[in-house]
Amino acid sequence: MAADMTQSTPGTPGSADTPGSAKGKRPRPERSRRFGESGATLNVFGTGFMAIWAIMILGPVLWVVLGAFKNASELNGSAWSWPHHWSFGAFSRAWHTGISTYLKDTVIVLVFSVSLTMLLGAMAAYVLARFEFRGNRFIYYLFVSGVMLPVYLALVPLFFQVSKLHMLNTYQGLILVYVAFSMPFTVFFLHAFFRTLPSAVYEAALIDGASHTRAFFQVMLPMAKPGLISVGIFNILGQWNQYLLPVVLMQSQHGEPPHYMLSQGLVSLMVAQGYSGDFPALFAGMTIAMLPVMAVYLSFQRQVQAGLTAGTLK
Amino acid sequence: MSEHGLPADVSRRQMLVRSAAIAAMVGPGSALAAGCAAGSGSSKSNTNNSGSTAANASDPKNPFGVKASNPLDVYVFKGGYGDNYAKAFEAMYTKDFPGASVSHHSGQNLTGDLQPRFNAGTPPDVIDDSGAQQLKLDVLHGSGQLTNLDQLLNAPSIDDPSKKVRDTLLAGTIEQGQLGANMFSLNYVFTVFGLWYSASTFKKNNWQVPTTWDDFMTLCATIKATGMAPFAHQGKYPYYMLVPLMDMVAKNGGPDVQTAIDNLEPNAWKADAVVNSVNAIYELVDKGYMLPGTEGLTHIQSQTLWNQGKAAVIPCGSWLENEQLTATPPGFDMAVFAMPSLAGDKMPQTAVRAEAGEPFIVPSKAKNQAGGLEFLRIMCSKAGGASFAQNANSLSVVKDAITPEISAKLLPGTKSSNDLYQAANGQYIAWYYLNWYSQFEKDLEDAMSQLMANKIKPADFINRAQSAADKCAADSSVQKFKRPTSTS
Amino acid sequence: MRLRKKTRERLFIASFLAGPLLVYLVFVIWPYIETFGYSLTEWSGVAPPTKVVGLKNYVDLFHDSIFLKALTHNMIILIVFPTVTIALAMFFAFMLNVGGRRGGLGGVKGIPGSAFFRIVFFFPQVLSVAIIVILFQSAYESNSVGLFNAIVIKLGLTDANHPWEFLNSPTFVLWCIMFILVWQWVGFYLVLFSAAMQQIPRDYYEAALLDGAGRTQTYFKVTMPLLWDSVQTAWVYLAVAAMDAFALVATLTPGSSFGGGPDEHGEVLSTYLMRNFQVLGKAGYACAMGVVIFFITLILSLVVLRATRRERLEY
Repeated sequence: MAADMTQSTPGTPGSADTPGSAKGKRPRPERSRRFGESGATLNVFGTGFMAIWAIMILGPVLWVVLGAFKNASELNGSAWSWPHHWSFGAFSRAWHTGISTYLKDTVIVLVFSVSLTMLLGAMAAYVLARFEFRGNRFIYYLFVSGVMLPVYLALVPLFFQVSKLHMLNTYQGLILVYVAFSMPFTVFFLHAFFRTLPSAVYEAALIDGASHTRAFFQVMLPMAKPGLISVGIFNILGQWNQYLLPVVLMQSQHGEPPHYMLSQGLVSLMVAQGYSGDFPALFAGMTIAMLPVMAVYLSFQRQVQAGLTAGTLK
Repeated sequence: MSEHGLPADVSRRQMLVRSAAIAAMVGPGSALAAGCAAGSGSSKSNTNNSGSTAANASDPKNPFGVKASNPLDVYVFKGGYGDNYAKAFEAMYTKDFPGASVSHHSGQNLTGDLQPRFNAGTPPDVIDDSGAQQLKLDVLHGSGQLTNLDQLLNAPSIDDPSKKVRDTLLAGTIEQGQLGANMFSLNYVFTVFGLWYSASTFKKNNWQVPTTWDDFMTLCATIKATGMAPFAHQGKYPYYMLVPLMDMVAKNGGPDVQTAIDNLEPNAWKADAVVNSVNAIYELVDKGYMLPGTEGLTHIQSQTLWNQGKAAVIPCGSWLENEQLTATPPGFDMAVFAMPSLAGDKMPQTAVRAEAGEPFIVPSKAKNQAGGLEFLRIMCSKAGGASFAQNANSLSVVKDAITPEISAKLLPGTKSSNDLYQAANGQYIAWYYLNWYSQFEKDLEDAMSQLMANKIKPADFINRAQSAADKCAADSSVQKFKRPTSTS
Repeated sequence: MRLRKKTRERLFIASFLAGPLLVYLVFVIWPYIETFGYSLTEWSGVAPPTKVVGLKNYVDLFHDSIFLKALTHNMIILIVFPTVTIALAMFFAFMLNVGGRRGGLGGVKGIPGSAFFRIVFFFPQVLSVAIIVILFQSAYESNSVGLFNAIVIKLGLTDANHPWEFLNSPTFVLWCIMFILVWQWVGFYLVLFSAAMQQIPRDYYEAALLDGAGRTQTYFKVTMPLLWDSVQTAWVYLAVAAMDAFALVATLTPGSSFGGGPDEHGEVLSTYLMRNFQVLGKAGYACAMGVVIFFITLILSLVVLRATRRERLEY
């Protein structure tokens, strides 16, 4: 890598083997001594392309939100139509068909599952990252290889497992399953993060007589905050939108009411709408499901980025 | 609702009754025709007056020995019929067995919800196993998970203990629920298939409902000249288009061809009837009579466009009206006609595919099996049939359950399907392979999608169908059945 | 004293690993091991397995033309989707972080509106897959009403009587799916690469500038090599997503039980697996398929990690 650097930073102006620019245009180094000038074309093209991409994303999202305000016949018509009167009726219908309950159940589960994921994930990642012991690599790879297992494959055995523990359709069952399935990603990223942290402070704490446990909670965890926040956000997103696991695990078993998670409830709402035709309510439900995670992301997006820096395969 | 149909459309296969092998609605055909339409008014009898006197050896009031103390666990597919009708049945059950606790679940993802429970040996006591995600009956049966419902058929009827339940059902219902010699599912909802159109549009344009394929082609040319597409279909799910095709095959080929195809005989698909029918259907594609793009549309998308007058005719089963309730414009006047006839047909033009769909099952490992059976027996009472008609706006397989008052309230499409059913007068088309051989049906659907997209020609379709049949016949892991010979 | 220290450390390690490991073994590893067990049996999926058939399921797999077709499709996705996603995400990240004109004080910064783009591009990540499916079902509608068809008709590429089939086209169905995948994931990797880019000291860019390197050159000579770790990571994650693609294919492509159409041109391993599992009553066979998928993903990831291993640059 050092070789790469010497080759790529100073001393190779306009080397002939420059891979063509994105546009296939050859850069002309003699004339472009300045950053700003060299990329005028690239800039226009790039910004234009990014604008189009942004439209491709915003358009559909907007379409969903607007759909909640249209009536059935407007939804039936052109996709480009604009709602005629802004009524929140669809939202209240969606809310009362169960979205409020789904929302409550999902929040309850996530509060515990994300905290627990972060706690257990950080503990495992920390020990694996900073201590030498036999089996370290094996356990690390055991965790990380979980990333490569398709969830749908384990569904039926998983159901039996949870059933044996009498945890079907319970918060604690789903929480533990979420924690378990979030482990690979969490351990993987936090492991990388803990490796980058300086050890001086930690060692000082130990010399001062702190136990390993105390040093972890009082010194290392606070230092790892950026990493914890970004991984936490991704866990929130992943668990919030999780669909397959709750579908299998959160079904009523003995007649008690099922605790549907939001995306599961949304799909059930969607299917129900297919038969009863209240599509505006469906769109309102989708909007409601979208907003909280969007808000979380918007408020934390800087930290998300900051924390991700160290999260790469080592 | 053209745009958005995701799982809705997936599960639209819904009543897709597909599962139900069509039964031959044979036998005492004339009697049952009356049963379906405005029944005689004797439906006053209800569930709790049954067997007022008899309380002997086998208590006709409680032939399965239900204990009210045992809870009953009901799971219904919540599709086009909703699930209120099931709640009504549950209320009847608790009325008969005061104190019984009945738990009611409904959903669309049958497989997701129930597959694990079957595996764990804790299935519900009675299930309406329908929809796109239904658990396949052949698979359940193959694993010994289904209760033989012959005991239900032989139990005394609630309305008249001197009759058996089997005598209170429309003919064909039993055959449709059979796997081998015994009935394993009670297919409760009665469905008729045909080509659907807007009677008001036809009238306005002075178009005549065609009875022969040639007439139909002429009509299509006329329609196309007006700028409307003559024909739409639910292309994303090729199942839909296979129905009219196979109906033509049945009419043109008669029982011999049907038996050969259902029994996976060699060269069954090379029969003239198949060639004629496939060629006829392909004409729609070849002559450009299809709604542009229809081969990629979901059922919701295509049916909505049809409702909007973008296409004149669409194939479907009689659930169509209920499914399109909100999308149908006022004055649309939905109606249905039977597949037009080809030269040399062996069945009359009026013959239609009529089937009992929406299979209700009682798992063999159900905790309260007796309760599940009793629940089905309640459904088979006249009060049950009447309650279903009121709550689900559809017809059940229970004879004489429909009072004139109820029939007066039928929607135009439902009325039209009744007319169609009666006009058929005992000549009903039935296919069994659909229910018996899931993989074979899937292969046929794949080939059909290509024919409809004009990617393959009729001869290719026939070759592919034949080799799919051969493959299925040669697959030792698939349990084989024989088509009942008594059926027409 | 020394021994005690060592013991204390061991105790600490054990206590910290016990909880996470236990949860993980019970709810993840064990079910997958059971899957492996089931793959050796004939199992209908609705009742306990009937008999052990050894490796028969595995042998059958390699004579199963649909399985091989699905495998090919996954391989196509595996090559195209990560490549395009990484390339786009890198490009966007570069534009957003160092693509802008030189600031007054000589700093390197992103193009105008960077903050806006950064947020918007991430949106698909907060959408549940259910919502994404509804969106694209409508966008790809195969008649003139559909969003994309409305566009191509407006552009004069076709007319209303010959709408493009998109998801119903044997040629394009996979590309349509891959487009959604890219649309969905670019935002995530944009954030990942941005984070990595911000780690790169500004001096490097300044130095490159002073040496007269153009922006394109800077990109390929400075940025890319320094992001290598992130690219590796991205590739592994994207490969996993490429081997899955279940929700999109199952709901958007034609066909009744988990899509896969038209005529198997959209079939991928996950949908074929699920059809065997839930519809055709061949759950044991499906489990064997799952085990094979797992090993393919694992081997591919290891190969990529090995092949792309470089020495780390410390900065």
